[in-house]
Amino acid sequence: MAEDMKKLFDERLGRYQAAIALEPTDRVPIAAGSNYFAEVYTGNTNQETIYDPEKWLQAELSFCRTFPEIDVLRDNRIWAPAFDAVGLKSYKLPGRDLPPTDQFQFVEEEYMKADEYDLLIADPVQFLFDRWLPRILGELKEPGSVRSSIAILKGGMAQVMTGQIMRNRTMVLETEVGMPQPMAGFFLAPFDVLADSMRGLNGIFMDCFRQPEKVVAACEKLVEEVANTALALADPLKRWPIFVPTHKACFLSPEQFDTFYWPSFKKVMDILIDAGYTVRAYLEGDWGLHWRHMLELPKGKVLCDIDNQGDIFKAKKDIGHHQCLAGGIKDSQFILGTPEEMREQVKLLCETVGQGGGYIIGGGCNFPYTTKPENFRAMIDAVLEYGLYDTHVKPRPKTAPAGEVRAFRYPRMVTPWDKKRAELGGVTGDEALIRKPWEMLEAMAYVWLWQWVL
Amino acid sequence: MDELAQALRDLNEKKVYDLVEERITRGVPAVEIIKACNEGMVAVGELFSTCRYFISQLIFSAEILKAVMKRLEPLLQGGREGPSAGAVVIGTVKGDIHDIGKNIVTTLLRGSGFQVIDLGVDVAAERFVSTLKESGARVLGLSALLNFTYPEMKNVVEAVAAAGLRDKVKVIIGGTPCNEQVRQFTGADYYAQDAVAGVSICREIYAGGTPPGGTQQKEQ
Repeated sequence: MAEDMKKLFDERLGRYQAAIALEPTDRVPIAAGSNYFAEVYTGNTNQETIYDPEKWLQAELSFCRTFPEIDVLRDNRIWAPAFDAVGLKSYKLPGRDLPPTDQFQFVEEEYMKADEYDLLIADPVQFLFDRWLPRILGELKEPGSVRSSIAILKGGMAQVMTGQIMRNRTMVLETEVGMPQPMAGFFLAPFDVLADSMRGLNGIFMDCFRQPEKVVAACEKLVEEVANTALALADPLKRWPIFVPTHKACFLSPEQFDTFYWPSFKKVMDILIDAGYTVRAYLEGDWGLHWRHMLELPKGKVLCDIDNQGDIFKAKKDIGHHQCLAGGIKDSQFILGTPEEMREQVKLLCETVGQGGGYIIGGGCNFPYTTKPENFRAMIDAVLEYGLYDTHVKPRPKTAPAGEVRAFRYPRMVTPWDKKRAELGGVTGDEALIRKPWEMLEAMAYVWLWQWVL
Repeated sequence: MDELAQALRDLNEKKVYDLVEERITRGVPAVEIIKACNEGMVAVGELFSTCRYFISQLIFSAEILKAVMKRLEPLLQGGREGPSAGAVVIGTVKGDIHDIGKNIVTTLLRGSGFQVIDLGVDVAAERFVSTLKESGARVLGLSALLNFTYPEMKNVVEAVAAAGLRDKVKVIIGGTPCNEQVRQFTGADYYAQDAVAGVSICREIYAGGTPPGGTQQKEQ
């Protein structure tokens, strides 16, 4: 990597990490989780973003050169052919189902029935294979058929290719424009796993009233599955957080949140934090009655994205002394506002929420697709004017924190090595040479299986 | 408060169904049973607007009401459910397929006695206009979740004007990305911060009053 790019990369990453850790740095980072604006800024369609990785990368390189003041640019978006390979039904995609310029949209259905909780709790993997995957992956609708088996094969290959595309993109952004990622790896709170892609919104709320103990038991059962998947997809160097968008918490009463949502969600985050990671949590909707719980997690470990409906000034008072906050500029301000209004809003944010650090400027977890470029520029200029702390501080990345992945109750594999070895009746040579790749492929397959619930 | 209304307000599902069955057996007219349910739904709405109930409870009350209506349908003998509080055309605008918010508003409006014509999701401007013409509804509700729909909402308001309906129809926008700034951009008459606020606006429009300040905000 060229020396100047390395310097830029370290500076940006150090600034971002310092904000998350509530430590002093030189200025407020400009580091939204998702930068939709960057994807389409140079004229690409949304279809090209998800189907043509090269075009997508070029668009973002160009964006980084136009707006070098931004501190991160996200990479863990989807590569649509991986969805097509298995016929994932839960998304409508631009260029396939929607006009090429629209954004992809989630389609919620009841892919798990109200009376199937016991099956899920007793044996999650069996449940996924027997009931859930054939319903949500269209290509698997006839389990055991040639088409279904080939679809799984294609799906596995697509997973490897997706990994390569994302890795390449991370490296090119790092070496060519010195740009770090805002996050890598992805998970959902166990309640959202059930609510989003299994029971649906209506279904899960009925369950909360009609069979609350099953909902709680299922969430508990999902804790280790979710944590395992999140860790598998995270940055091995632990440079940036693991991302969790919270989808359904904003619809729950505080009592329901405390009963159904928080306990299992907290357990997942504890596992990730113990392993040495930070978490970036998009608190979708208004979390005003829920976010006090973030005080229960270690200080400076959970970056909280405050959504358009949330009151970031109240969040600063409630939890800003304990966790980093991001957001403060409404979508409508980016899309419909004027540069003067933007300047005023940024000034206000820097002088209030930004005080004492632990603040990242941005929209409600994203910069919208239809952001006016002049508003984006006005935001940057205002940060450079009002968002400076101590310019003598030279931001430097932290060394990867130690950490330990807690032992799970059972191995995340369908056929553990011990079973295979017994079937072979032992091996004749160096067992480790056989065991390690066996387990690696088993683990990858296991993650492939679980990624569809996210 | 009527016992059935109270059971619905308290989300006591089993009790609601038992009371409905008991009243059917006693020969209480279906219209009367619906009236009691409407009273319960209004009470649910009040609990929501004072932050004692949340969306999950609104949705559960709507599910209970749906089950009751299904049970009563054969007993209505094609008759109306009683006098309508007014007609409302509602839909999610073109380009957006999300419907959680719209469905909650629809159920609450029906629970308050409105005749709701729900056009579903991804609805084109022309369809909103033709439905307004056919129904004579005085209220149009536009819903959205995605923020790139601002121009489309504006487009619908302009299409309503081009059809010569602008002075006859009040337009309300609602959904996650909406606020007063968006209302001004689209040219809509009102922005409803939540489902209950939307119902209040409809009620005031049909009562001939003017909801305050062009917007209806939930009190915090």
